[in-house]
Amino acid sequence: MDEGLAASEPGPSVAKRARFMGPHASSSSGADPEMEIQALVSMASGLYPLARAEALSGLAAVLKKVNAGGGVVECCYACTEKLLRDEDEGIRLAAVRLVGLCAEKFAMREELGGDGDQMDWVFLQLSSMARDMCTEVRIEAFNALAKMQRVSEGVLLQSLSKKIIKTDTGSASSIKGKKLPPKLSFPCAAGIFAHGVEDEFYQVRTIACKTLGALAKLSNQYAQKALDLLMDMMNDDIEAVRLQTLQALFDMATYGCLSMQEKHMHMFLGILMDANVVVRNAARKILGSVNLPKLQMFKSALDGLIAGLKKNPEDQDIYGVLFSIGKNHGSFSANIAKHLAKEINMASDGELILDKPRIKALLMVSVSAAYDDKDKKLDIPTVIFSHAIPLFGMISCALAEDEQDSLLSYLYRQAGMQFWEKKLVSAEGGDYECFSVETVGGTHAQVETTGKTTKYLDEVVIKQSTRIILETVKGAWVMIKPCSIGEVQSTLRTCKEEVNSLAVNSSGSTSAVLSFVCDYLDAVQLIVEIWWFIQLDDSHAFGPTSLDILLEKLDTSVRRMKCCYAGLNRELEVQVLEFALLAILCRLSEFGTCSKLVLDKLHWIINHIDGLCADGSYELSDFSKEVKKVFDDNFIDGTPIVNICTFLEIFDLKPARDFEMLNATTAVLQVRDTDSENPLSYVYGLPVGVAFDMSLCNTSSHDRIWLRMVAGQSVQHVFLDLSCFEGNDKMKSCSRVIPFYATPMACSFVLRACLVIECPFGSIGTHQEGHGGPRDCVVQLCDELDVYFVSADTEQRQWSK
Amino acid sequence: MTIDCLVLGAGQEVGKSCVVATIGGKRVMFDCGMHMGHHDHQRYPDFARVLAATPGADFTSAISCVVITHFHLDHIGALPYFTEVCGYHGPIYMTYPTKALAPLMLEDYRKVMVDHRGEEEQYSYEDIQNCMKKVIPLDLKQTIQVDRDLVIRAYYAGHVLGAAMIYAKVGDAAMVYTGDYNMTPDRHLGAAQIDHLKLDLLITESTYAKTVRDSKHAREREFLKAVHKCVSGGGKVLIPAFALGRAQELCILLDDYWERMNLKIPIYFSAGLTIQANMYYKMLIGWTSQKIKDSYTVHNPFDFKHVCDFQRSFINDPGPCVLFATPGMISGGFSLEVFKRWAPSEKNLVTLPGYCVAGTIGHKLMSGKPTRIDLDKETHIDVRCQIHQLSFSPHTDSKGIMDLTEFLSPSHVILVHGEKPQMSFLKERIESELGMPCYYPANNETVSIPTTKNLKISATEKFITSCSTAQARDGPQKSNLICGNHLSGANGDEKLAEGILLMEKSKDAKILCEDELLQLLGAEGHSVQFEPLLRSRIGEAETDIVDDLASE
Repeated sequence: MDEGLAASEPGPSVAKRARFMGPHASSSSGADPEMEIQALVSMASGLYPLARAEALSGLAAVLKKVNAGGGVVECCYACTEKLLRDEDEGIRLAAVRLVGLCAEKFAMREELGGDGDQMDWVFLQLSSMARDMCTEVRIEAFNALAKMQRVSEGVLLQSLSKKIIKTDTGSASSIKGKKLPPKLSFPCAAGIFAHGVEDEFYQVRTIACKTLGALAKLSNQYAQKALDLLMDMMNDDIEAVRLQTLQALFDMATYGCLSMQEKHMHMFLGILMDANVVVRNAARKILGSVNLPKLQMFKSALDGLIAGLKKNPEDQDIYGVLFSIGKNHGSFSANIAKHLAKEINMASDGELILDKPRIKALLMVSVSAAYDDKDKKLDIPTVIFSHAIPLFGMISCALAEDEQDSLLSYLYRQAGMQFWEKKLVSAEGGDYECFSVETVGGTHAQVETTGKTTKYLDEVVIKQSTRIILETVKGAWVMIKPCSIGEVQSTLRTCKEEVNSLAVNSSGSTSAVLSFVCDYLDAVQLIVEIWWFIQLDDSHAFGPTSLDILLEKLDTSVRRMKCCYAGLNRELEVQVLEFALLAILCRLSEFGTCSKLVLDKLHWIINHIDGLCADGSYELSDFSKEVKKVFDDNFIDGTPIVNICTFLEIFDLKPARDFEMLNATTAVLQVRDTDSENPLSYVYGLPVGVAFDMSLCNTSSHDRIWLRMVAGQSVQHVFLDLSCFEGNDKMKSCSRVIPFYATPMACSFVLRACLVIECPFGSIGTHQEGHGGPRDCVVQLCDELDVYFVSADTEQRQWSK
Repeated sequence: MTIDCLVLGAGQEVGKSCVVATIGGKRVMFDCGMHMGHHDHQRYPDFARVLAATPGADFTSAISCVVITHFHLDHIGALPYFTEVCGYHGPIYMTYPTKALAPLMLEDYRKVMVDHRGEEEQYSYEDIQNCMKKVIPLDLKQTIQVDRDLVIRAYYAGHVLGAAMIYAKVGDAAMVYTGDYNMTPDRHLGAAQIDHLKLDLLITESTYAKTVRDSKHAREREFLKAVHKCVSGGGKVLIPAFALGRAQELCILLDDYWERMNLKIPIYFSAGLTIQANMYYKMLIGWTSQKIKDSYTVHNPFDFKHVCDFQRSFINDPGPCVLFATPGMISGGFSLEVFKRWAPSEKNLVTLPGYCVAGTIGHKLMSGKPTRIDLDKETHIDVRCQIHQLSFSPHTDSKGIMDLTEFLSPSHVILVHGEKPQMSFLKERIESELGMPCYYPANNETVSIPTTKNLKISATEKFITSCSTAQARDGPQKSNLICGNHLSGANGDEKLAEGILLMEKSKDAKILCEDELLQLLGAEGHSVQFEPLLRSRIGEAETDIVDDLASE
């Protein structure tokens, strides 16, 4: 070879050759890997750094293809060992990568039965690279360390402590007779993690935390000490590091090697209050699966969670965490339950409010304890269960599973109540194991899939809960006669609360279902109240208006159900109409008034129900039949005698099962560029134009939508021609400037605008004389929007000042 | 060739760092510090000894350059004296931040010495100014050709803003002088960072030659816990701190914590600190830690979010707060004034640095828990507040020294800037664990280190051809080995080639083949043949062979 040529064209040409070898080796599977490795190994000891680096990456490519057996891995490993101390950063990086790969191969072989000392050796070698001056090399070294499968405890412990641990057993200085080279002895692993978590670069800190957690499953003693280091990382200034730390802790908890100590609690409770919601969630997730050895710690964890609940009320998943904590610490929870039961018994009526986050939280914990308690060793007072029934929705969310029926019946049974149990499958405590600490290796994958299915489960849970709530309402309705009304009312109230809590996280058609159920519950509640009023001997003690108001409210609820939902199926429609019928009957019986209009309506409804049931797919209820009979008979003389109580007694609630296709009709109304700070200006007495942005969801073309504007006494309705809207039935929107005529003679006023939908009963109109407004009763589609106006004069005067 | 190392200061002690290394005839002075403990001639290094080897020369001709690692007085304190009084006029190198901050330190010290203690002035304000004019600033990893042979380069050392490790090279002989360094990063400074270099000598500091420090996280956690507990109980926290380093470090720590915990309690800086120091830190972002470099484009971390303007009247205001005040050891000034007001309440907290000079209030507070401190005969302070101690040292520990030494793998190590017993302990470790000869000379001693010399030799074409044919011949054998079950021998073999090294005067060295040598010398080859002989005649035969060889 010519001397000059070699000098003028150094690395690149050789590097090219090595580069050619690499991909070539990896692509041609048929070629002999031994030959390739031999060639690459000889290049790896070459003169030029680029060539060495390429040779190493080539080796890595070959190594990935071959199986663990044979001497190939040893060959690569021996070649790499020398290059770990190379002057060039790139080569050190490639060498570390290759050693990591070798370690994986060794581990694979070990499963088939090989010697474990080699793993220790590789671990030490990688550890010595974790203090390299080059950031990438450090990251790669920790990465490779995280993949180690079996390392002896002594080496692991040394990697945590900067001080050199003197061990008496022979395994320290030499590994089973094999003498280590002087530079590669125990001390080189000393404190690599202590350094790693203090590294200047957050990338290194992150990966060091990950590795710390990943190795924890190998040794318990190590796990405990690693926890100290990880706890300190919660103070790190980079969020990514804090999150990785929490992830590492969670992994440790999943593998059952996380045992929290008292000294860690302060730090841990601090994170529960973190300003970042992601961090808070991660911290809670850990708390839900960790094992707390002392009652004191358990209590402080509860206090921390409750405090979090008070500070961030939107963190509803805290209840789920409370449940799993309680379940994991049965005896501690039983302790809490006892104290809580005492508190409940001591509190006189009204003093103990279930709404208080603290009580709710403690109830959650108390109930959970009984859950895993198959042998019934724990003594949970029954009063706890009866108080926990309203929290049913939360508990089922915490359990995240389908067995709603059994859960509810379980609660009732524990509470000592007999409640249409015949329909429900009896619960077995052993079925619920979703959050318990498991030490099985495969749990990790399971945990991940759980996360994916949660969203789907949410929907299922909501559907199930809705069904059960409706069952409950039916049950309550049946109970009106035997039980006192107060009890029924409280059941209905809790049901409604439940629906509201379910509705918090729902969207789309699920939220429509829930909002329908809410209206439905409103109606039932009102009917119950009205019934109660009617039964009172001296109903006027409460003043005549009370009943009036209740009736008015009932009308509104029924109207909402009737008009604000698209896609009501026949079953639901009949139910809604029956409600409407009942509302009219109540009015008739109470006031005895019988205008032609009301009777017309009544007949229209009866006919309509008849029509719906005509084809026999749906049977006419006893109630409808009775009403039909009475009115067909009585209508002849024009004054129907209505005994409402008989009607109420035969009125029957049939829980609907099918809510498919149900969609809520909603609207959004906005006015551009104005708020209370920036009012619109007007000249009094003259009309003023307001630019409205309107959008409507799930309206059909035959709906009659109005814009209602109210200022003081003056009301103005504007009919909205839906053909002017853009979009489809699902969502249409429109921007229009609409004049408001009756501006008051004042320097400022507030215009309350709202979109309303007309609620017709056939062609019967309430306000038949045309005053420009809707023909019939209306229902609001959105909240009232306040638009602020200020007189132009006033404004000018202010400017001139 | 050798490297001669004359230790003028910081040999088996801490203070007046000064090492003069002679590499291949070039003299480099590393650091030029003063000893704060002495007030006589011992305070400066004995510069005259440099001239002892070369009689008749002055400093400028005897020394190629002076390199200063950082702005602490025990590393730079004697520089104005050396340049202005002793008369050295050669080049002086230091990093940009050192050049910016050094005059402040020097002038501050001169004032204290002359104005407060009434000592004789060693150098004047003008001397400092003139001295700084001669300084040539260095950047990190910038290679400077001081003269034809001498090359120096600075590497990041952590420790303080602008601290550097210096690499010097003459010909093939190379060495590194570390100055003070820190291998673990803190909030505002990074860890020392250096390339893998081929070194003959490493001169390293050894302040903590024996100590292995535990994780700083634990200390930080305790500190934050104490502060948080105090302020949430409505107390006031006094943090006495020096203007540079510790104050910024702690303030970044608190500022972060405040942000995360969403605390609204004000943090104050007493005026003197903010103006100068923070301004320099903001300007010299490039010399701080990675985290600050990453974030300063969005937000300069030295623009502390939770730090509010402070006014003297705030001392007596009710409600919790955190206050940074100078000087660090409560030896007087503003921090003493605040301490007097706040010490009597048990709700308040004072955090002290790890080390306080004897005689200061800080020292009194650290030794035991006094309930009453007498300032003078008439005034005394009731101390009821809590005391928290936070050690904070920007020096590397023994583990760090070992790590750096192992990473650089020099042929020889010299320890300076430490205490003798600890140094000897570390020397043992380096020699036994790393297998490197190690020295820790006392002041004014010289250590001579042999250096490696690389020789460039050329090879003839024939030699190379013969080598490659030999390799090709071995090839198949090797592949056979690999195919076998155990491969450990496969790459253990060295590729040996035989040749003759020819070194002639005034010519480059050369490697030749055997027959080429004969050609070159014009000699004929003799061959020696062996015959099996009886034991009794071996002696004769051997003499024959020796004779034959001699004739060849």
